[in-house]
Amino acid sequence: MKKGLSALFLASSLWGYGEGVIYWAPHMSHGGGHSQGKHGGHGMGEVTMLHAMNLDGNGSVTLITPDLSKDDLNLTDTALTLPKATIGGYYALVLTHRSENQVDSAIRYLSQQGRPSKISPTKLTALPKTDLEIVPDPLHREHDRYTASKSYHFVLRLHNHPLANTTVFLETRNTPAQSVITDAEGKFTVTLPNDFKNVQIGRSENKPSEFLLTTQHREGDTLYKNTLTMPYSLNPNDYWQSQPYGAGAIFIGFLGGLFFYRRHKKNQGVSRG
Amino acid sequence: MDKLLTLTALRRVIQLTAFVFFVYGAMIFTTFYTGDKLTQSLPALSCAYDMKGGDFCSLIPLQHQMDHRVSSIFTQGEKVLPALMGTLITLGTVAVLILILNKAFCGWLCPLGFFQDVFTMIGTKLGLTQLGSLSREAVNKIRPIKWFIFLFLVLILPLLTGIGFLGHEWGNPYCSICPSRIMTTAMGGDMSQIYISQASWGYFALSLIADLMFGLMVALALFVRQPFCRICPMLPMQTLFKKIGLLRLVKNGDSHCDSCGNCVKACPMDIYEIQDSTEHKNITHADCTLCGRCVEFCPHDGVMNLKYGPVTLLTSSKESFKKRIKIDKWWKE
Ligand code: SF4
Ligand code: SF4
Ligand code: SF4
Repeated sequence: MKKGLSALFLASSLWGYGEGVIYWAPHMSHGGGHSQGKHGGHGMGEVTMLHAMNLDGNGSVTLITPDLSKDDLNLTDTALTLPKATIGGYYALVLTHRSENQVDSAIRYLSQQGRPSKISPTKLTALPKTDLEIVPDPLHREHDRYTASKSYHFVLRLHNHPLANTTVFLETRNTPAQSVITDAEGKFTVTLPNDFKNVQIGRSENKPSEFLLTTQHREGDTLYKNTLTMPYSLNPNDYWQSQPYGAGAIFIGFLGGLFFYRRHKKNQGVSRG
Repeated sequence: MDKLLTLTALRRVIQLTAFVFFVYGAMIFTTFYTGDKLTQSLPALSCAYDMKGGDFCSLIPLQHQMDHRVSSIFTQGEKVLPALMGTLITLGTVAVLILILNKAFCGWLCPLGFFQDVFTMIGTKLGLTQLGSLSREAVNKIRPIKWFIFLFLVLILPLLTGIGFLGHEWGNPYCSICPSRIMTTAMGGDMSQIYISQASWGYFALSLIADLMFGLMVALALFVRQPFCRICPMLPMQTLFKKIGLLRLVKNGDSHCDSCGNCVKACPMDIYEIQDSTEHKNITHADCTLCGRCVEFCPHDGVMNLKYGPVTLLTSSKESFKKRIKIDKWWKE
């Protein structure tokens, strides 16, 4: 039965990105909306406007700030404009939609600049935000933002307890859904696909793409659904950076060192001899 | 058992512990978030690119501040003090850390310093002929390089990038060639920092220099002591504050020191100046890593001293010299 449901779910996911679930998407149309900025170092740039995709009816939105306080925000239709951040750091944006026998939720983490908070972002991810929740373990940030061709860990929680043996789907704008099953501790790992199109040379020349994790779980009469969306960048090592050449250059440097060693040994021989 | 009781042995234990903390610390004590790190201004090469590390070095914030903040004085007419605030905070933290441990960060805590030491130990055990001391001329030629690297790669090029004279690749050029970036990430199982970039000529050159230099450093470390440290931009930075350090090397050599040169032979940084005779003088040199080997290998009572504030931590003596020489022979066998 469970497998059948998963297959159905998969089929619906294949229909289109994020079909059948609510999720957060950054506002793409105006230039600054989701650009990564020329500075390649930190986070994923500042997002100021987002959309609650597939939201039908009313949803409640909570913004959890880096110091873990909560603000209720209002949607205009399905669009959300973020208030100006005072505290710098990581925010969690939580959308919840309740209907009869079903609770849908969507989470997204954002970084904003401002006065730094003294609280670790691991506290933000650890904080229970929805009944069923995909939790980054840890959230990848700063110089180590989510990148294609790399693997990342997550935990699935139900009512703040790990949820084992449950299917989670990963999809991106260019790659159809693949499934992964949580282990006994509710953990799972996904590898982000290298699926960027029209790649330009240089990190800052390419806008990040989006990945979406979706899962669901039925408990009694209630069906819980949760999604997590985050941007991810392309991996320069897939394009204009070559790791084999790098290893080759290290080897040449090493040979250079050995050459110095031979010269030094010869000199020693002469001075002793 | 007696063999283990030397300053160098103690130093190795501390270096290893520090290595584990600085390279893997985020797995044990903290997370990889910048805000969670112990400090972001360590006066030794503990790398920000190592996501498993518990800390990171002060060179990365300095380069970023030059590129993004200090440059705004020229590009946006920003007031000098606010634009320099970040840099002053970084330098202030470095000053505090130097006050506490002075340059011992290098000899006792730096992961890259220890990494090189390990290769020297391996080289010795493989029976490779060790170079011993570099000549005075070689030392004098090499010394200015670290200042050049510090001034240009850490300060001036990032600043010019921020002003708009140079391309993005020159925003943190020192990190782009830093061997600690390759070493610490690779030690954590992440090989992504080993690459040649074809994004532009600048990126290409920097990535090529980084890899060649890393390979060269490893091979040289097999028979030369601390090869990279001699050009490390951390030394000029520490030199700025070395006078305030509570820990220091004090020489009291007028009566006894006969300039035998044992201290220089023992010194991994080949600091010839320490054999000059002086009385009660702080002789902590710009290149000194406060490893204390010169104290261990000085054959005269009370000539070389490691002091912390008013307290003498270690002083040279005939007795300990004899013991140390024996242990050295045993180790090099
Ligand atoms: S690359 Fe080198 S200079 Fe840059 S943060 Fe790492 S250790 Fe420091
Ligand atoms: S001089 Fe050597 S020990 Fe000191 S920071 Fe540089 S690499 Fe590390
Ligand atoms: S002068 Fe002495 S303490 Fe300083 S690096 Fe040389 S041997 Fe070590």
